[in-house]
Order: sequence, then structure tokens, then C-alpha cells
Amino acid sequence: MNAFVVFFLHGLTYAGLLFLVSSGLTLVFGMMNVLNFAHATFYMLGAYFSWSLLRMTGNFWLSLVVAPALLFVIGATVERFLLRKVHVLGHVHELLLTFGVAYIITESVKWIWGTRPLAVPITGLLAQSVDLFGITYPTYRLFVFSVSILIGLIMAVALFKTRVGIIIRGAVDDGDMVGALGINVPVLFMAVFGFGAVLSGFAGVIAGPLLTTSPGMADAILVDAFVVIVIGGMGSLGGAVLASLMIGQLQAFGVLLFPKFSLALIYMLMAAVLVVRPSGLFGRQS
Amino acid sequence: MKNRFMYQILAVLVLLCLPLVLGRFHVSLLTEIIVFAMFGVSYNLLLGYGNLLSFGHAMFFGLGAYTTAVALNHIAGLNFFAVVALATGTATLVGFLIGFLILRQKGASFALLTLAFNALFNAMAIKFTFITHGDDGLSLTRPEINLGFVTINTSDVVVFYFVTLVILGSAILLSWYFTSTAMGNTIVLMRENEERMKFLGYSTNITRLILFALTGGLAGLAGSFYALFFSFVSVDAISITMTTTVLLITFVGGSGRFAGPILGAFVYIYLQNFLSDITDRWPFFMGLIFIVMVIFVPGGLSKLIEDVFRWVKARWKGTTAEAEGET
Repeated sequence: MNAFVVFFLHGLTYAGLLFLVSSGLTLVFGMMNVLNFAHATFYMLGAYFSWSLLRMTGNFWLSLVVAPALLFVIGATVERFLLRKVHVLGHVHELLLTFGVAYIITESVKWIWGTRPLAVPITGLLAQSVDLFGITYPTYRLFVFSVSILIGLIMAVALFKTRVGIIIRGAVDDGDMVGALGINVPVLFMAVFGFGAVLSGFAGVIAGPLLTTSPGMADAILVDAFVVIVIGGMGSLGGAVLASLMIGQLQAFGVLLFPKFSLALIYMLMAAVLVVRPSGLFGRQS
Repeated sequence: MKNRFMYQILAVLVLLCLPLVLGRFHVSLLTEIIVFAMFGVSYNLLLGYGNLLSFGHAMFFGLGAYTTAVALNHIAGLNFFAVVALATGTATLVGFLIGFLILRQKGASFALLTLAFNALFNAMAIKFTFITHGDDGLSLTRPEINLGFVTINTSDVVVFYFVTLVILGSAILLSWYFTSTAMGNTIVLMRENEERMKFLGYSTNITRLILFALTGGLAGLAGSFYALFFSFVSVDAISITMTTTVLLITFVGGSGRFAGPILGAFVYIYLQNFLSDITDRWPFFMGLIFIVMVIFVPGGLSKLIEDVFRWVKARWKGTTAEAEGET
């Protein structure tokens, strides 16, 4: 019973991280029809920036603000100066470009920080444990999950209750029409791309103390995030929430119950969902 | 057409004579180039001709490589051709099965699904240590080729180069002839206008499935030679990085043109060797070159060369015409 609760909470924590990474991915895909292969490297950069900032200042909360801000700049730059240039050539070229960007970021990370896994220390209240349902559970994992919920809620309010949100949802549905109504779509694309990088980087910062910060961390989450947006339906935020929860639990209990097949379980779930609904749980049927 | 045929014969002759002038190191590099050219050609048939963007082509390549290594390690006295045929057959069969499952999807979903399948195979290669030895990889000894009247020992670099050249060279030539068959034309026409092909009574789904399985088989063949060439298979052969490699080769060379990936393989292998000699950070520069290529030379090197030729030809014609006073 206790093990069950622990693994359930582990699953929720991973689901939170996965949601932060995949929500940006799914929004960018829905709007720009670009599968951003560099998205997970933004997550990795977030973790490494946070490691460096912690070494310099020792303030975790500061790194939680500064690292995502840096990633906004990087994301917006990639969109403005690289992605926009190849937009006219079609989606395959855009996708290939993000591939190249991922390559460069991964190599730069190895260059600057080395290939050894780095440990991000966590201190203060977050380093403690709490008693919960008869088990002792690290506060930090609960923090990760609550922060993910908080950000998910903020995003939901921003997307569904504000003017900017209406414009973004409109652009996901029909970008040309939004442009025709006088919205500066290129700037919107740049902002959403940058914002996606912020979410991914933020996930990286909070993942740092939890998982190992290493050059392999981007690949580890990238495929999971892709599976999340396939299951949830591309461009759907609600789908990303549900699929993240499913994958998170599957990861946690898969490791517990079938250690040899835990990786395969995710793809089986994906295959099953696609057989029933080819465009994902919340995707629009074509 | 006749000119083209002459070029082909010339190319084959040059490739046959190269080991006479080149050192063993370059012969070895050339073998690697032929293997990756085969891999690239199969990917180009899928992407350039069929317009199917796959991120999982390495699963067929790796499957071919692992089948080769496992078969050679477990079945004693296995014939060279039997191993290669087994690897190609396995990859083709898996291509059929996976294609059957995922070809209903198009575009980005299809790309993602192939990626997921590749990740699944990659996970299997890492986890199923009892057969793949996981991260340690599998080593193998190249079998001899017994042609009945003569036995060829393939352990020599130059001999293996000739074997690779003959078998993969024929496969590449066959792929080239495939593009001008009725089936090859159907694939190109489907790329251009699928609706119309359906109206004309073509079963586009079956054509696509055959193309997917065929390119899978060709990638498996390339993978088999990759395993034989290195006498070793590791998880690298079935990783996402291997898919990236074939994507790079195809795009640097130019997709949609048959010669593109062959040129791409040549440039990629030599560039990788050159860069890894001068810097440990060669993937960084590869990525940089890739981005520059995508932005400035989107059609790939073969298109660039073609354009330059056309430009020179046009200039040449222009100047001769002026000289004759016809303008």
C-alpha cells in the first residue's frame, strides 16, 4: 500500500514535468505546424543554466526566474532568425532546422558543462520531507507537482479567459484568418515559440534537483513528450494534461511492475490510442 | 540515355580501380560510404520520392545489423549470402508489419509514430541483453563467401570493399531502375497528386505499404553490411542518432534526386573524418553546417551542382550565340 502511494506520487511528479515540456510543444505544433526537435534541449538548457546560477548566487528562486527568461531570448532568437527564414520552404525544412538546432545545443552543453552528470543541490524547506498518508515523502517532489498544476492553471486562464489567449487559440485553428484580422502573426509566432521555450526551461530548472542534469536528459524526455502530444492530440492543451498523467503513472508503475518492459508500455499505450482514435484523444478528427 | 549508361560504366570502372591507387584507410572509408549511400538511397526513396517523412529509418538499419550479428553468433557455418538475405528479409517483414499499423497516418503524425517505433526498438536493443548484450554490443566474424568453385576470405579490407561494391552497388543500381518502373512512377505521381491517382484506380495505400517495406528492406541490407564492415554492432546502429545521420546524408546531398544521398554519403563520411581529426566537437560543426545547408542550400548539394551546371551552360550558349551574331 505504501509503495503504491509512493509510486503514484512519483508518477504525478513526472507527469507534472512532462506536462510543462509537452504543453509548449503542442502549442507550437498547433500554431506553426512545426515539430520542434529542439524543444527538449531547451529543457536541458534550463537545468544547466539553473546549475550555473545556483553556483554563482546560491539562490534557487532566482534561477527559477532568470533561467526561463534566458530561454525566452534563445527561443525567440531561434524563431526570428532561423525558423522564419525557412518557413517558406515548408514544414520538412523547418523540422530539419530544429534538428540542427538541437544538435548544436546538445554539443554546446557538452562543450561548456562537460558530459559528467551534475547534481543540483537543494536546500531549505524544499530539501525536507513530509508525512503524508502514512509515508514520508520529499517536499521537493510535491513542490514540482504543485508548481506544474499552478502553471497549468495560469496557462488555462491565459488561454481561455484573455484576449491574447483568444488570439492564440484562433491562430491554432486558422492562422491565415487571424493574420487577415490584423494581428501580427509573425510576432505572435515568435512570442509563442519563446513562451514554449520558457515552459520547457522552467521544467528543466525544477527537474534539475530531481533527476540528473546530464547531456542525455533532453533525449530522455523528448520521446515521452512526443508520445504525450500524439496521445493527447496535437495542439490540445487538455489532451496534454491527460496524456501526461497517463504517461507519468505508466512510467512509475511500469518500472515497479515490469522493469524490462517499462519503456515498451508507453508505445503500446500510444498504439492502442491510435487504433481507436487516430488523431489522439482530444485531437480534431480529419 | 546512352550518355547516362556510359557514365554508369565509367563510375563502376573508377570504383573498381580505386583500391589500386588508394591506401587501405581510404578503401575502408569508401566501403563505409557505399554502406551509407545504400542507407541514404533507401531513405530517399521514402522521403524524396514517396514524400513520407520518417524518423524511424534507423530501426530497419539496426534490425538488419542486429539480425546479422545474432545470426552469425548463433548459427554456425552460416553462408554469407544467407546472412545478408536473412537481415534484408527480417527488415522487409518488419517494414510490412509496422507500415500496416501506421501508414494510415500522414505527415507529422506519421513522422512521430516512426520515431516512437524507433525508440521502441532502441529500448529493446538496450534492455534485451540476453540477445543483444545491451550497451556492450555484439561482435562478429565475417563469414567466408563460398561460390562453389572458389572461397573468398572477406576479412581483408580490400576484398570486403569489392564484395560491398558488387552487392550494394547492384542494389543501388536496382533501386535506380526501380524509380523508372511503373511502380516507381506511381510513387512519384502519388507524391504530386494522390487524389488523382486514386481516381485513376490506383490503390495508393498498398503502393505506400510496398514502398515502406521495400525501403525498410534496403535499409536492412545496408545495416547488414554495416555490421559486417565494423564486425561489431552496438546500440548506436538502432539509435535516433542513426536516423539523424541518414536524414543529414539525404538532405545534404539533396532529396528527390537519385544521386543526392550518394553524394551526401560521400560528403558526410569524409567531412566527419576530417572534422573528427581536427576537433573533438565535430557534431557541433556538423550541426552548424546542417543549419547553413537548410537555410541557404535547401535543395541540397546535387541541386546546387545542377544549378551551377545549368547556369554555366546558359552563359556558354549565350556567349556563343552573341559571337555568332544571332541575338
